[in-house]
Amino acid sequence: MVLWKDFVRGLWDENPTFRLVIGLCPTLAVTTSAVNGLSMGLATAFVLICSSALISILKRIIPDKVRIPAYIIVIATFVTIVDLVMHAYMPDLHSVLGLFIPLIVVNCIVLGRAEAFASKNSVMRSAVDGLGMGLGFTWALTLLGAIRELLGSGSLFGYSFVADGASTLGIMTLPPGGFITLGILMAVMNMISDRLKKKAS
Amino acid sequence: MNESLRMVVVLAVIAMVSAGILSMVYGTTSVIIEENQARALESSVFEVLPGTTRVEILRRNPDELGVDDPREMREEEQKTTLIYQGLDDQDRILGYAFVGEANGYGGVIRVLVGVAEDTDAILSIKVLSHTETPGLGDRIEGEDFRGRFVGKTTADPIKVAQDIDGLSGATVSSTAVADAVRESFIEVSALYRGGE
Amino acid sequence: MTLFTILLSALLVNNFVLVRFLGICPFMGVSKDVDSAIGMGLATTFVMVVAAAVTWLIQWFILEPLGLPFLQTLSFILVIAAMVQLVEMFLHKTSPALYRAMGIFLPLITTNCAILGFAIMGVQNSYSFIENVVFGLGAGLGFTLALVLMAGIREDLRFADIPKPLRGVGIAFIIAGLLSLAFGGFAGLV
Repeated sequence: MVLWKDFVRGLWDENPTFRLVIGLCPTLAVTTSAVNGLSMGLATAFVLICSSALISILKRIIPDKVRIPAYIIVIATFVTIVDLVMHAYMPDLHSVLGLFIPLIVVNCIVLGRAEAFASKNSVMRSAVDGLGMGLGFTWALTLLGAIRELLGSGSLFGYSFVADGASTLGIMTLPPGGFITLGILMAVMNMISDRLKKKAS
Repeated sequence: MNESLRMVVVLAVIAMVSAGILSMVYGTTSVIIEENQARALESSVFEVLPGTTRVEILRRNPDELGVDDPREMREEEQKTTLIYQGLDDQDRILGYAFVGEANGYGGVIRVLVGVAEDTDAILSIKVLSHTETPGLGDRIEGEDFRGRFVGKTTADPIKVAQDIDGLSGATVSSTAVADAVRESFIEVSALYRGGE
Repeated sequence: MTLFTILLSALLVNNFVLVRFLGICPFMGVSKDVDSAIGMGLATTFVMVVAAAVTWLIQWFILEPLGLPFLQTLSFILVIAAMVQLVEMFLHKTSPALYRAMGIFLPLITTNCAILGFAIMGVQNSYSFIENVVFGLGAGLGFTLALVLMAGIREDLRFADIPKPLRGVGIAFIIAGLLSLAFGGFAGLV
């Protein structure tokens, strides 16, 4: 039951993107299509689960004063592994996500969960928390990517819905479209959770 | 144990373990990464030299032009110092291709240039990588712009505003592509022709 | 590519925040009033210029010669974190006034992805030492510019009647979108 709570927390109540509003750079930069958003989310989720679990194991060994550098080393190691493996086995995806793979290191979600959760809880709970947060991040990115792809390129997960040469809202795949879509999505999420709260009370 | 000593030891151990794991992962993946890159470049060579069925690699080296295994070279070196010779199914040499680089608007632009063996004129070019602005500079990838280089030889100036029409709104990107093509063409042509 | 082009490109055309999406977290977090926006921007610029020099030396004198490119991410982030600490200690000792102004922002800078991002980008563009430092300066000033613009708008926003769900970050993102659209006008400048 505790594990279930740890898992769902990241999906909605403390969703990194819509509730905590952290980890925004990749959220905006790579979500030009649903597939990119999904892959970036999964890559981050992998790093989150592994580093949360490992940091939880090491929490008694790492002296308090140097915990942040130690966490950074652990996180950077997993990020580099993801970077190399992706480069080797998914070269196309790697070239699209490019710079934003190494930047998972400075994604506040990863270091934030290490500091706020993994350093205080058991290995199992930390890993499940990482999984929930990671998937929460993933669905937010995929949703954003899907909206921008649909409006900007007239396709979804690469399947085109519009005739060749039909004009689409190209601006949606450019930077301004990213900001505006996320702003509107935030407002929609706020409305939904307000409704839910009213119903509950 | 002394507390500050313990901090140093723990950090050093973590860093060393991490470096060890990474070098192992790097060892296995770097081979695959390089093979992928070599294969991707080879298939681009098929594109710029139509009719090619086999690619032979020569090294762009001031001293000699010998067949070389790209896997033994560093990635960066590979991209700029190799000449790809395109052969057809009867092993006739169709032409050669090479990579040129120049700084564009957002970063390095890398182009692959294919030149015909018999006429010594450009058959086609392909933009391998760039970081130009979407909607403006990225039009250098388009067939319309790349077509403007077809048929040029080292005797042509290959300069924007002379014999190449630049793209309006993307002058820097267009100029960079022309520079990359011209400079690598002159260099490689001298070597390739001189080396035979 | 001249130094001026690099500076202008990093500052306006490829503005780190509005065009490249780097450093969005502090951009949203510390843009509520102009004074702290300026403090944060200048502190970041300072760290970026120093980081430009240090990461350049690490890349071309340690990682490349020893064949350790895979340690790039790890070493850069550690160096940046260590440098932020040093800058903090240095300011604390030498200039208490500056420390009071910038101090609270410094720890936040470590996790500003604009810094790690620009360091990796500088390597990818294989800039020379001077070019890299200028690139760092342009990136930092571009970050400051975006932050101050945003803060100026948000200060005035307090008096605006915004629909309830949009209040807070929602409207901030939409404004950022409009700013980004405006910065699109710099395309083709260089």
